Amino acid sequence: MVKFLKPNKAVIVLQGRFAGRKAVIIRSFDEGTRDRPYGHCLVAGISKYPKKVIRKDSAKKTAKKSRVKAFLKVVNYNHIMPTRYTLDVDLKDVVTLDALQSGDKKVVACKETKARLEERFKTGKNRWFFTKLRF
Amino acid sequence: MVVSKKTKKTQESINNRLALVMKSGKYTLGYKTVLRSLRGSKSKLIIISNNCPPLRKSEIEYYAMLSKVGVHHFNGNNVDLGTACGKYFRVCCLSIIDPGDSDIIKSIPGDQ
Repeated sequence: MVKFLKPNKAVIVLQGRFAGRKAVIIRSFDEGTRDRPYGHCLVAGISKYPKKVIRKDSAKKTAKKSRVKAFLKVVNYNHIMPTRYTLDVDLKDVVTLDALQSGDKKVVACKETKARLEERFKTGKNRWFFTKLRF
Repeated sequence: MVVSKKTKKTQESINNRLALVMKSGKYTLGYKTVLRSLRGSKSKLIIISNNCPPLRKSEIEYYAMLSKVGVHHFNGNNVDLGTACGKYFRVCCLSIIDPGDSDIIKSIPGDQ
């Protein structure tokens, strides 16, 4: 009775190229739209997880290992698994529906999401989100 | 070890309540629509049969936990649950959207 597919909810993508990756809902369309007559949401997720950083890594190595590759996608609700976690990153201004219309706009949006996710990873918060799901 | 014995009486009463929901309320049958009702926060109670595959059972329970909806594990398999719904097919899980005249929502999650 509580709506849980809301912005900032962490979900796991179940189908497609990014199956098994964790993502965060940016914008949800419960009723669907004319082009997509089903419940769907715009998610930003991690395509390549940051590697495990150990204490004896040099600064250069840490920087290389903490890199994140992000993806943006419009996903059907049937193809995601919601979790009890949330991720509070402000990506609403960057990730919009029209950013996904053209290739270069998408690349720009992805780069910005990558930057914000990396800075969140470096603070050490939301550790669950940045660990790879083992299956 | 305390084992709560599901007496014949409570099982009958659940069947009665379910029959009343079928007659007067709104419900959906089947896994796909159960998940859809949970996502759209339309569901008030979920009933799962006892031979539901464990992965599917856990998934429905997780969605119900997120959505704060009660789950009732029906004391019978999908054939029995289908019969309890008055249908001639098997029902593995069902979602009650509007109980109608029945008090199934108030009485069942209490004893579960």
